[in-house]
Parts: sequence; structure tokens; C-alpha cells
Amino acid sequence: MVQEELISKINVTLSEEFELPIEKLTSEAHLVDDLGLDSLDAVDMLVHIEDELGMKLDVEKVQHARTLGDIYKLIGEVSSDSN
Amino acid sequence: MPLKNHVVIVTGGSAGIGFAVAKRLASDGYHILINYNSNKDGALACQSEINELDGACSILQFNVKDREQCESALEGFLAENPDLSIYGLVNNAGITRDTLAGLMSDDDFRDVVETNMFGSFYLMRWCAKKMLLKKRGAIVNMSSLSGQVGNGGQLNYAASKAGIIAMTKSLANEVGRRGIRVNAVAPGIIETKMTAEIPFLDQMKKNIPLKRIGKPEEVASVVSFLISNEASYMTGQTLSVNGGLYFS
Repeated sequence: MVQEELISKINVTLSEEFELPIEKLTSEAHLVDDLGLDSLDAVDMLVHIEDELGMKLDVEKVQHARTLGDIYKLIGEVSSDSN
Repeated sequence: MPLKNHVVIVTGGSAGIGFAVAKRLASDGYHILINYNSNKDGALACQSEINELDGACSILQFNVKDREQCESALEGFLAENPDLSIYGLVNNAGITRDTLAGLMSDDDFRDVVETNMFGSFYLMRWCAKKMLLKKRGAIVNMSSLSGQVGNGGQLNYAASKAGIIAMTKSLANEVGRRGIRVNAVAPGIIETKMTAEIPFLDQMKKNIPLKRIGKPEEVASVVSFLISNEASYMTGQTLSVNGGLYFS
């Protein structure tokens, strides 16, 4: 799956799970300040992304993610490792 | 009536309280996944009694203190049974290595804490992630009177069971908003192999307000309640099942 497809898949999942408008889901969006996600939501997000994409993300790196772009980057890294 | 594809995992379901819990939850209508470590005969006996009740049941071997073993066994089970989903967990598996603190070896302490506390943690973490995806689920952790009041000769066991109460409250806090409930049960003296070796049992009965030791089924009925929707507004709680030996 190419990066754009992954991103669009993640955005649909996040939009559905956290009731976020899809247009707010941009690389620059700050997880806390812009999307209103807290640390408990981060676990939820991790679980849903892993389930949707069938990949394991680095929990420590997810905890350091600040923007949605950071999450896209992590997924890109895992996806290129597995290719 | 729960759906037949709703799985409740009962760790240590091959004997004692776990055996009774597995049977009770099967009669409530859940698909029971009985975990055992070494007592395969006990797990098979429990499965056969559940089958006689027309209940649904599978058995799965893993040692709860081995995270990789737990996770690979459970992931394998779900891969082989794609129609089933994890609805509940009863963290019941536990061991004792009773001795006075001054005589307790590091291994006595470590084994008990690794099995009772780490084991419960591994299962709770794995199950909670599955439950988050479904936004529902119920977890019951088996604590003990020892974990509530402490007990001479059981420093290791009491520590692990007190830790279970704290883990119950903590996880309940984290996952409550996703519709997942986490509670604990603290049995007192219950008629099992674990308590058969207690010296002066008759003497001890005199101190119990109900003047008898409890039956595994009397713990199972409380677990059944906490797993069920009857307890839909309860989370983070520890219910004592001890004949009044301690009023929490």
C-alpha cells in the first residue's frame, strides 16, 4: 500500500472512532491542541491503527508523537520495513 | 442472554474457583476459554462438564507468567476462531509459596508475583486492547482476603493480591469511558486444594460470622454478576466473598 492510501485509511479510521471532521486530519494537526486527543485516546488510536493496518507500531515512539504527521511518519517507517 | 460468540477467558480454569467460574459463566451463555498451565486433565474435566450443560468451551494451554506464550496462544486461538470475539476475562490463575518472611527466598517472592501479578497484567493488557476495538467488555480479577488485610506467612501472595486490587482500580480508570468495566473479587477461605492444607481450619471457622468456609460456586456467582450487565454501573470495585471474616 502506498503512503497516500495508508494516510487516507488512517484518517477514515480516526474520523470514525474519534468523531473528528476529516478535513481537520492534516499532517500539521496537533494531536492534543487541534484534535483534542489525550493520552488515553493515544492508546485507542494505537489499537485502532494496528488493527486497521495489521501492523505493530513502536509504543514508545507513539507516545512521543505530537502531530498527526508524526503518526503518518511512524506508519511509513513500519510499512517500508515490512516491504 | 450473552451471545454465543462472546468469549470469556478464565485463567487457571482447571481446578478450584476457576473451574467453578468457568462452569457458571458457561451456563450464563458465554463461550468459555479455559486456560490451564500444567493440569490438562482438570481443564478437560471442566470442558466435559460444560459440554454436559450444553455450554460452549475451548481449552488453551499457556503459562500466564510468560507474556510471549500468553499472547501467541491467544492470538492463535482468535486466528483459528474468527467468529469469536473477546468479551470478558477472569484473571484467576494464581499460586502460593507460603512461608514466613524471614525464610522466604527471592524465588518464592518472584514466582508468586510473576504468576499472580505479572500474569494478570499481561492478560488484562492483551484483552483490554481487544475490548477497546469493540468498545465493550468486562474484566474480573481474583484478589484475596490476604490482599486486603495482609497475612502472616503470605507476604508474597498478599503483595500480589493487593497489587491486583490497585491494578483493577487503575485500569478501570483508563478504560471506563470505552464501556469496559474492571472489577475484582476477594475470596476469603474457600474450599479448594489451595486451602485444604490450612492448619486449624476448624478453629478458623469459629471466627467467620457465617461459621463455615465458602464454596467455589459462591465465588463464581459473584464473578458471574460482575461480568454480566447486571453490574453495568460498577467498575473499579473489589467485592469481598468471605462469610463476613472481614468487612471491607
